[in-house]
Amino acid sequence: MTLPRGRHGLSREYIAEDQKKRILTATAETLDECGYEGATVAAISGRARVSKSDFYVHFASKDVCFVAAYDAGVLHLRGDVLTACGRGADWGDGVCSGLEAALARLAAQPAQANLLLVEGLRTGPSVCGRFQQAIESFVPYLRNGAPPGTGAGRPPEAADEAVVGGIASLLGRRVLAGKADRLERFFPELAEFALTPYLGVAEARRIISSR
Amino acid sequence: MGTAILVAMSPRAKGAVQAKAKPTSPAPSVRPSLPREFIAQHKQRRIMDALAELTAEQGYEATKISDIVKRAGVARKTLYDNFAGKEEVFLAAFDAARDEAMRRVEEGGASTEDDWQMRVEGGLAAFLGWVAENPAAARMCMIEALSATPETTRRYEDALEAFVELARRALPHDERLPETIAETLVGGVAWIVYQQIRRADAEHAEDLLPELNEFMAAPYLASA
Repeated sequence: MTLPRGRHGLSREYIAEDQKKRILTATAETLDECGYEGATVAAISGRARVSKSDFYVHFASKDVCFVAAYDAGVLHLRGDVLTACGRGADWGDGVCSGLEAALARLAAQPAQANLLLVEGLRTGPSVCGRFQQAIESFVPYLRNGAPPGTGAGRPPEAADEAVVGGIASLLGRRVLAGKADRLERFFPELAEFALTPYLGVAEARRIISSR
Repeated sequence: MGTAILVAMSPRAKGAVQAKAKPTSPAPSVRPSLPREFIAQHKQRRIMDALAELTAEQGYEATKISDIVKRAGVARKTLYDNFAGKEEVFLAAFDAARDEAMRRVEEGGASTEDDWQMRVEGGLAAFLGWVAENPAAARMCMIEALSATPETTRRYEDALEAFVELARRALPHDERLPETIAETLVGGVAWIVYQQIRRADAEHAEDLLPELNEFMAAPYLASA
């Protein structure tokens, strides 16, 4: 929401912060609508209702802005996931809650889903690096506190990363297919996919169906 | 493969061969003549290989036509005789690499015995083997293709879907598992391989086999 015109007594810092937030939101929306080529500084500034020169006060270039938008998106997503994980009764419950929260946020904000899951791999090396880091950063939420595993013992390290990567891949493809708003319906199968390497299929299903 | 043939076909060598044959009228078959199509394909291959290498070294964006022709050792005109531009070279190289990888996976996963675990492991081993032997092509297909152009992104998505289909056929049918299981498994494997390539360690991709094999089998085994 833009600030009213004229004198409003708001501090310069507040206005600057507000502008920055609007630019970051506009970046995700413009990317979603117009793609990388179409998301020009002019297009983003227009949507954010800032002047191009104000844009450049905050960001040196379009690409710097993209990285910032990506970081902001990951931060908000992580916040939701951590809060939800923390409320879980045990590890399995926590993983389910975290996944549920992630899907809810992505489904509610398709532009964010597109930014985080699709553009993350497409818009060039700096954002790509952020995508990689973001995926890696979610791995500990799965790994930490995980039970030692049944049968042959703990699943291999790669399993954690493959789970997070596989989920991101599936969700990204659905977003690309224009189905971002339906991501929540993947919860049961993705939760099973996440828990199975640690608990086995039967136990994973029991936990999910008891929610 | 190519160097011996190239030497034979270079102008100086051609002259040398002709000079030697001069004293008696040369028999028609003395000068080696390769079919035009073979030569053209060979040059196309060199151009595509050059692009794969350069893209792996410096990225698609930074790679110029002049870089490609220099690396491939062809004239600029030759490149444009065969390809409309940089993107077309990339797409042709992608298609060729994808076809080769798929062929190897299909062969590796083929099994006369009704043992799905052998099929899956065979296919995975074949894929990792291809990555290990073709690091530049693997990087081009699995990393650069995602961001080079919208068309290359589409090719990647289509190729991924093709591999998902291969996995669906190799994996056992289990009604209790969701339809998307093959997709999430392949996506997970692709992610792990992607990271391996990014770490510039594609040559050791085969080390990933035991873990990835276990990962793919996990949903199907009675107890984890």
